[in-house]
Amino acid sequence: MESIVNDYISREIVQNQEVLPLSNDTSLLRGGILDSLSLLRLVVFLEERFKLTVDEIDLLPENFDSVNAICAYLRAREPGRQEPARG
Amino acid sequence: MGESRAERLLRSAEGVAYWAAVAPAVACLPAALGYRIACWRGDWEFRYRHRKRAELVRNLRQLLGDDLGPDDADRLAREWFRLASCNAIDVMRLRYRARPLRRLVEIRGREHLEAALAGGKGAIVCSAHFGSFDSAFSLLGASGFPVTTIGRWQHNYTVGLSPAERRFWDLVYARRLRRHRHRPNIEPWAGRVGVAAQAATILHANEVVTISIDAPPLDGDLGRTVDVPFLGRRAGLLPGAVTLAQVTGAPLLMAFMHRTPDYGHQVLEISAPVPMAGDTPTAFARCADEVSAAIRRSPAHWAYWASGGDLARLGVLNTDADRSPAAEPTPAPPVEPTVKPILLAEREFAHDGPADNVAARG
Repeated sequence: MESIVNDYISREIVQNQEVLPLSNDTSLLRGGILDSLSLLRLVVFLEERFKLTVDEIDLLPENFDSVNAICAYLRAREPGRQEPARG
Repeated sequence: MGESRAERLLRSAEGVAYWAAVAPAVACLPAALGYRIACWRGDWEFRYRHRKRAELVRNLRQLLGDDLGPDDADRLAREWFRLASCNAIDVMRLRYRARPLRRLVEIRGREHLEAALAGGKGAIVCSAHFGSFDSAFSLLGASGFPVTTIGRWQHNYTVGLSPAERRFWDLVYARRLRRHRHRPNIEPWAGRVGVAAQAATILHANEVVTISIDAPPLDGDLGRTVDVPFLGRRAGLLPGAVTLAQVTGAPLLMAFMHRTPDYGHQVLEISAPVPMAGDTPTAFARCADEVSAAIRRSPAHWAYWASGGDLARLGVLNTDADRSPAAEPTPAPPVEPTVKPILLAEREFAHDGPADNVAARG
């Protein structure tokens, strides 16, 4: 899961190539990699790729600040663990 | 020369009195008389607000070219003040489900918006800080469309306003507009990364998102602007509305509300969906072109003429050469910019009407 998310962000979202290769614990928000619109593109990708719906209330920096945080959020949304991650 | 403390206080008091007492009372009069009184107030401001008037005239002449003579620029500046005063009456006429304002506004192209919503992906209605745009968004809401606006309430972000002042502008201005909007404004700001996703959620619910695309970018957004032709120059604008349309598949329509020569009546024109073919800058340039064309048709309707700082931040006015009263036929030597872009925190609050997003109106 980490590699899928990391690949997508590295390929589609990162504009400054100097941050590549992207570490899974790099802060995407503090590093300016993720902004509002790129987060939307990422959410659309995650919803399609992992067949889930990201709730508006889950759009917290804590859930999307790094590849690791995103994957932790996704795992919390896996079937049988539907309690949304609130960060 | 700067404005003295006494002048500033007097202007503030006049603005507060107009919004709190005069405009609500005048909005209860027959429309012809009410808007006539608003025009008198606009004429009074034109006569006595020398600095703002001079800035308006200067900016109009710089950007609209030498074809605009001094008399024309003066006429447009007077018109600008009149429209600003009339816009306050529009806000007050949003009472009673906005019927008093709806009676005065003809909506053209409503079928485009209905057809867009029939597609099930919501609709993005783009406008500019043009005319009574805030009332236009609320009017759409009052006309049966579930409208949510992406835009900042200026009084919430201007540094230096007291809590009482913020509360005042919320009561006399924002509350009246908000009443007809389906959800609270989505207010973009540094660190609010969920803004676009919030808007996408609204579009997924097949609702309408409105946005003014001509706002000067904040510092943190400067790297995300795209350079587009605008009023015969190049402007750096944020293409977020187009990106949102491309990601969600929602149709994007343009809308502008023009005031007719009698000042009381208005026409809200909604376009057919703008083609989103091509990359984001190409598609966004089409939208910016529509804004540019609307401003050229009715220059006095555009809010930003009064703020050289905002025009500088947009990138359309940025050097000493731009500030000289007449165009120079010979190239001017390179100079440091003297029209400083205004940061929101430094912005003087507009006491005769706060517009949302970052417009300083009046």
